[in-house]
Amino acid sequence: MKGASREKLKRTAAQRTSPQRVSAPRDEAKVLTLRFRFLLGLWALCAGVLIWRAVELQVVEHDFLARQGDMRNLRVEPLAAHRGLITDRDGRPLAVSTPVITLWVNPREALESRELWSRLQNNRVLDAKTLARKVTSYPDREFIYLARHLAPEEAQAVLDAKVPGIYPLTEYRRYYPAGEVAAHVVGFTNIDDEGQEGIELAFNDVLQGHPGRKKVVRDLLGRVIQDIEILDDAQPGNDVRLSIDLRAQYVAYRELLAAVNRDRAKGGSVVVLDAKTGEILAMVNQPAYNPNNRTGVNVASLRNRAVTDLFEPGSTVKPFTIAAALESGLVSASSRIDTRPGTIRVANKTIRDHRNYGVIDITTVLAKSSNVATTKLALAMDPQVLPALFDQFGFGHATGVKFPGESAGLLPFRAKWRDIEKATLSYGYGLSVTALQLAQAYAVLANDGMRVPLSLQRVENAPQGQKVINAATAKNLVHMLEEVVSVEGTARAAAVSGYEIAGKTGTVHKVTSGGYAEDRYFGLFAGIAPANDPQIVAVVVIDDPQGGAYYGGLVAAPVFSKIMTGVLRALQITPDANPGVIAGGKTEGGRT
Amino acid sequence: MQLKQFALMRAPRDMWLLFAVLGLSVLGLVMVTSASLQIAETRLGSPSYFALRHGIYLTMAIFAGTATYVLVPLALLEKLRHVALMAAFVVLVLVLMPGIGREVNGSQRWISFAGVTVQPSEIAKMAFVIYLAGYIRQWQEPLKQTWGAFMKPLGLLAALTFLLLLEPDFGAVVVLSMTAMGMLFMAGVPSKRYLLVVLVGVVLAGLVAVAQPYRVARLMSFIDPWADQFGSGYQLTQSLIAFGRGHWFGVGLGNSVQKLFYLPEAHTDFVYAVMAEELGLAGNLVLIGLFSFICYRIFKLAVGLLEEGKIFSGQMVLGFGMIIAAQAFINMGVNMGVLPTKGLTLPFVSYGGSSLIICSVMIALVLRAERDESLMTVNKVKRRLP
Repeated sequence: MKGASREKLKRTAAQRTSPQRVSAPRDEAKVLTLRFRFLLGLWALCAGVLIWRAVELQVVEHDFLARQGDMRNLRVEPLAAHRGLITDRDGRPLAVSTPVITLWVNPREALESRELWSRLQNNRVLDAKTLARKVTSYPDREFIYLARHLAPEEAQAVLDAKVPGIYPLTEYRRYYPAGEVAAHVVGFTNIDDEGQEGIELAFNDVLQGHPGRKKVVRDLLGRVIQDIEILDDAQPGNDVRLSIDLRAQYVAYRELLAAVNRDRAKGGSVVVLDAKTGEILAMVNQPAYNPNNRTGVNVASLRNRAVTDLFEPGSTVKPFTIAAALESGLVSASSRIDTRPGTIRVANKTIRDHRNYGVIDITTVLAKSSNVATTKLALAMDPQVLPALFDQFGFGHATGVKFPGESAGLLPFRAKWRDIEKATLSYGYGLSVTALQLAQAYAVLANDGMRVPLSLQRVENAPQGQKVINAATAKNLVHMLEEVVSVEGTARAAAVSGYEIAGKTGTVHKVTSGGYAEDRYFGLFAGIAPANDPQIVAVVVIDDPQGGAYYGGLVAAPVFSKIMTGVLRALQITPDANPGVIAGGKTEGGRT
Repeated sequence: MQLKQFALMRAPRDMWLLFAVLGLSVLGLVMVTSASLQIAETRLGSPSYFALRHGIYLTMAIFAGTATYVLVPLALLEKLRHVALMAAFVVLVLVLMPGIGREVNGSQRWISFAGVTVQPSEIAKMAFVIYLAGYIRQWQEPLKQTWGAFMKPLGLLAALTFLLLLEPDFGAVVVLSMTAMGMLFMAGVPSKRYLLVVLVGVVLAGLVAVAQPYRVARLMSFIDPWADQFGSGYQLTQSLIAFGRGHWFGVGLGNSVQKLFYLPEAHTDFVYAVMAEELGLAGNLVLIGLFSFICYRIFKLAVGLLEEGKIFSGQMVLGFGMIIAAQAFINMGVNMGVLPTKGLTLPFVSYGGSSLIICSVMIALVLRAERDESLMTVNKVKRRLP
């Protein structure tokens, strides 16, 4: 082959000398120019293809390609909306939202880079094993939670490992600065920031904000590079200002807790009202719970017993029985009632007083809490008068505070009342009330016979009340009730230094499945202060005290005294007592 | 006065070409910087890692080009053409040696030497052009007459192709083949012979592509990248999206989204896509225009030299022009989905030292060829004058 080509070469060399060669350079130049034009033409074609393609991609297909790009890197992210604050009447925070980080994962993305999971080895919040378990359980999902409500630095420790597919999300976590003290009133939210109990539930619509949406550009690692636009603004929830006075709430909580511990009671409730405005200044219960850490909490502790739990009010309704007698003209303030011999027989049942009080006036009926006297009055009245008046005092109705789970109580209505039913109603059996209802009824006495609607929210202007009894009757009754807290009365322990206190004790047998329990009681006290210018009403309920004492005057009245002392001081209410008048306040004793 | 004249005579003739190349390189530096900032920060912890290196490479390239321009006479190159051919073979064999060649992404395309990474295919391309230019000058007449003179360089091309396919570097094969065929075409090989060889070459190339399934997959994905947009078509769809997002005037320098890890190789093989996204069709057309201008000037010079019978310099300049044109066209074509995906850099623009320095040396030799040949003409004229 090689030899052959050499031959050919020689031949061509020989040909050069031939005469044809003279025209060759011109031909060659022509060929060169032609071929160059062809080559240049080819390259021009290539450049043309590029330009055509560039125009096609960047102009003609711009919309399609940009949309494809958006599909890959545009995301709509939620803008967390701040849940409204819950504060007490003076703006002290009771529930606040703090930003926390929730980590979520896109399992599809995470599964693509299993080898990087080991970066989470020994991470305290989220280790590689947990991630593997969660991701492999739902390989087809695009969103699962990894860890919720982390402190920002905890979340950052996980994010720093840069495992693909793990993303942060800002959420808000509820924090309750007052803890157990206001737990029952304020309630709590679940992990999704939805109200579950208390005010958090009742005012969920007000508190809850509407999360917004924003469009962002994310890089392949999920980091937001650019905010494109806000689609909807996040609307933060509104604040709720409660009627609660945190100082009063603290005092009530502290004293109730101490009393329940001391008397080894099963539970207890305290309600403190502003008599003029109907605002609830304090509402506490035992047992309580810490809303900031609810793990292992007994469900029973979650109840706001002051509005959910019913009890028979017992002797605490006697002022209302007297009110009915006075209003119907059956008796006057100066009337005297014969309670001898200290017992009365009604339909085979003997109703007893603590001892034989003889012929006593109305004031003494209340001071000594005579069952015989109220029975006599009830039997002498038209049978519908007493239940009708009780109804007007608010028994048997929800109070209108719209607290979740509020009980309306039980006030029976009968076409025909038997004598024993009339009698028991007069001293507080046969109807059930909540602590809040009882407080509301006493607020009517304190507020010159006007019933104002109760409120858990701060009230700026005292609402127009509804007349229940005459102002004179109400004033009279408050004055009479002062005697209960005197040396002669059943509740000397309820006295408050510097203030005149009006109030009434109650000791009722608890209802069990087998009827009234012989040895289990509610110790009650409902009171008004200061008696000369009633402003504050408080009700104390001690449930099932096991410490020996169980009379309302012994277990509930001292709690009332301590709480009222604190509340009156906190609210800077002018003392109304003449020095020395309440000298007997500290002495022992007191009975139903 | 004489010194100034001397200096003027030594200066490059085609300042437009020089400025165009410099402009392209500066654009390249800007785009590499923009495309690599986030990648460098995430992967290496230092955002300016690639930008800084590219700046250093560019400086080195300018030095290398200047040195070549000042120090290397074309006559010397012509004499050393066999050495160049040897060198091409040596580096292409070296890169295949375990321990010397470095494998990246399944291809053994780099030689690490004393901390410097060199891409031998770049050297081989340039060296083969120098050899072939010399060959064509030597066998000018036989090439027009005999099969043998035509087949010999083709045999060498086939040998180089074989070595390149072992790496594998299919892109370099295409560029080298296009260049060699372009040079032989302009050498005046008879049309029928030429066409026959081209036909055989195309069939062979097709066989090579079909023989390896992953090439077929790449081939298919370029035709319809959206069919498997998260698999074989991923890179291309991301690149196309970059072009589409660019629209008329781009999203603005530095604002590319696709470079944020969506587009792999954003600062090397796909820097063009990032540029098209950030600078839009306007910037894209400027880039195509610059390349067209540069290649046109080089080809124009080449054909001028050939017409004057300066076969070696003319063929060499033509070869360099072919390399730059082919590489630019293929890279841009790949970026825009006109051609199947291949690992090829964009001359003067993409990140990478080897490519920059070789391109710079090629431009230096082009300018030197122009100056030397015109200088001779001037001297001749001068000598004739008195």
